[in-house]
Amino acid sequence: MAFVSQSHRAPNESYTFASRPRPVENRSKYREPPSEQTHSNYGNIMYDRRVVRGNTYAQLIIPTTAQPDPVEAQRQQENRRRAIARKRAREQFRPSTPEALQGRKHIDVQTELYLEELSDVIVATDVECQTDAFLDKPATPLFIPAKSGKDVETQIEEGELFDFDREVQPVLEVLVGKTIEQSLEEVMEEEELACLRAQQRAFEELRNNELAEVLRLQEQERRRSEEKGRRIAQQKEVLKKEKETAEKIAARAYTQQYLADLLPAVFTSLRSHGYFYDPVEKDIENHFFPWLMAEVNNSLEKRYTARELLDTIIHDVTRKRLKMFKELETQ
Amino acid sequence: MAGCLIDPSRAPVAFGRRAVPQLFEELQQPEADRRLRALASLCDLMHDPERIYQTVNGAGFLEQLNVLFEDEDSSVRTKTCELLHLMTAHSIGRQALLSSSLLPPLSQLVDDNSSSCRRNVHRVLNRLTLLPAGADALLTLVPKLMLKLRGEEGEEEEEEEVQVLLLSTLSSCSRLDALPALASDGVSLLGHKLSHRSPNIRREAAAVLMALSVCEDGKLQVCEESLLPVLVNLLHDEDIEVQANAAGVIMYTVIITTGKKQCLYLDVIPILLELVSKEEEEEEEKKKKRKSRKALVMYSLRALTALAEAPDGRRRLLEQLPLLLRRSEATEEDHDIRRDAQTAVRVINWRP
Repeated sequence: MAFVSQSHRAPNESYTFASRPRPVENRSKYREPPSEQTHSNYGNIMYDRRVVRGNTYAQLIIPTTAQPDPVEAQRQQENRRRAIARKRAREQFRPSTPEALQGRKHIDVQTELYLEELSDVIVATDVECQTDAFLDKPATPLFIPAKSGKDVETQIEEGELFDFDREVQPVLEVLVGKTIEQSLEEVMEEEELACLRAQQRAFEELRNNELAEVLRLQEQERRRSEEKGRRIAQQKEVLKKEKETAEKIAARAYTQQYLADLLPAVFTSLRSHGYFYDPVEKDIENHFFPWLMAEVNNSLEKRYTARELLDTIIHDVTRKRLKMFKELETQ
Repeated sequence: MAGCLIDPSRAPVAFGRRAVPQLFEELQQPEADRRLRALASLCDLMHDPERIYQTVNGAGFLEQLNVLFEDEDSSVRTKTCELLHLMTAHSIGRQALLSSSLLPPLSQLVDDNSSSCRRNVHRVLNRLTLLPAGADALLTLVPKLMLKLRGEEGEEEEEEEVQVLLLSTLSSCSRLDALPALASDGVSLLGHKLSHRSPNIRREAAAVLMALSVCEDGKLQVCEESLLPVLVNLLHDEDIEVQANAAGVIMYTVIITTGKKQCLYLDVIPILLELVSKEEEEEEEKKKKRKSRKALVMYSLRALTALAEAPDGRRRLLEQLPLLLRRSEATEEDHDIRRDAQTAVRVINWRP
C-alpha cells in the first residue's frame, strides 16, 4: 500500500498528519492480506456498504422495537441486580460522585488528549423552524440586478438566413437524381436482359424449327436409303434365283441328251467285250480244242521223237561210214 | 455528410473511382455486420456497367468473393451470391465469372443450408447460361442439378422458384449437349414435372424435354416412358408457352417411327390442325401474342409434316389439305410460317 502521507512530530509541536486524499478501497468482509492490486478496487463511495445512508434516526429505533426475549430479559435483569449489588459494595468502600439532583443527569465527558470515537452514540441535533402562522408572507420584491453594459438586440428576419426552397433544391436534386439514376440503371439492365432473352428465344425457336426439319429429312433419308437397300437386296435375291433355275434347266437338258444314247452304247460295248456268248461254242472253245491241240501235240511229239531218233541213227550211220571211208581212204 | 448514414443497411460509398476498391476493403473487416452493409452497397453499385468493368478488371476483387463464400453467416453468403447475380447480368461479368476460379465453390454452395442462399446460387447459374460458354462450363454440374431437382428422400423438394430456375438452367445446358441429362435419367424425372400444378414448371420442364429429345436416344426414351399422352394433354393447356413447348417435344418425337405410330394412335392430328388454324384474337398485345403463337404454329406445322410421312397420317391430312393451303398462301404475313406450310403441303402430296 502506497501511503501518500506524511506525519512527523516536531519536538515541540503537536502531532500532525497529512495524507493525499485517496478513495476508500473496496475491501471484502473477510479481509485478505493487503496486496499491491488494491488500486483497482477503489469503489464508488455512493455504493459503499460501509457508508451510512438514509435516515439516521432509524438506527436507534430498531433495538427498542425488537421483541424482548424472555431469557434475554431475565439475564439482563440478573445482570442489573448484580451490577447494583457490586455498585453498593463499591460505594461502601470508595466515595463516588454524589447523586445528581432532580432534573439533572450525570454524563461522561472525554477530557483526554486522544479522543476516542464513540461508535454507539450518534450525535444528532434537531433543528426546527416555524414561521408565524398568522403572518402573511409579503411578496418577494422583484430582484432586478443592476444594469451593466449595453443593451443589444438581434432578430433573424424571414428570409435572412437562407431560403429553404432554394437551398433544398440541390439536396433534393441529388437525392431524387440518385434514386432515379439507380432505378434507371436497374430498369435498363432488366430491359437489356429481357431483350437478350427475347432474342435468344427467337433464335431458339427458329433453330428448333430448322432442326426439326433437318432431323425429319435426315430420318426420311435414312428410311429411304434403308428401303432402297432392302429393295436392292431383294432384287439381287430374285436374280440369283433366276440364274440358278436357268442353270438347272440347262443341266437337265444336257443330261437327258447325254444319257439318251447311253443304252445302245452300253449294250454295244458289252457285246464287244464278249459278255454275251454262246455257251456251246464257248465250251467247245474252252475245253475241246485245247484237248485236241494237246493230243495233236502229243502225236506230233511222238513223230518228232521218232524222227529225231531216225535222224540220230542216220547221223550215226553216216558218221560211221564216213569214218570207214576215211579209213579206207587213208588206207 | 459521410458521418451520418442515410440508409443504415448500407455502407457509405466513396466518390467516383474509389467507390468499389473502398467497399472491397470494407469486405475484409471481421464483423459480419459491416461486411453485410458493404455487400448491400456493392449490390446497388453493380447495376452500372462501368462499375462492373472496374470490379472485373480490378486487382483480385473476385478472389475476395471466394473467401466470402465460406463465411459462417448465411446472410453474407446470400448477399455475395446476389452480387454475383447482378454481375452476371452483363456479358463482361459472365465472362469474368467463367474465367475466374469461382465456379467450383459456387457449385459447392448449391448444397448450402440456407434456402435463400441456394436460391441466389441458382439465379447466378441461370444467368450464366445466357452465355453459351457458360452453359458449356455448367455441363459438368448437370448430374448434380438433376439430383437437386429430384430431391432426396426425407428432404423437402426445392421451392417452386428454385425449381423453375433449375429447369431453365438445365434446358440451356441440354441445348448444347443433351447427353449428361439423359444419362441421369432425365426423361422420367421430367415426365413427373410435366404434371405439376404450376404453369412455370410445366413450361420449363417441357422446354428441357424438347432439348433432350433432339438426340435419338432422347426420342426413344420419350416414347418408352409413354410421355406422349401427357404431352398431348399439355397441348390443351391454357398457357401458350406450355403449349408451344409441348408441341416442340412432339415435333421431335414424331420424327422416329415409334413416335409416329404412338402419336397416330393417340389421334393427335386434329389437335395440331386446330392449333395451326386458330386465328389471333385481340388487337392489343398482338405483337407479343403473335410471337408466342408463331412458335406454336411453327412447331405444329413441323409435327404435321413429320406425321405426313406415315401413310396413315398422309391419308388423313389429304382430307385436311385446304386448311394448310390457306396458311401457305401469300397472304400469310409471316415468312417462316408460310414456308413451313408449303413444306407440309409438299410432303403430303408426295407420291413414291
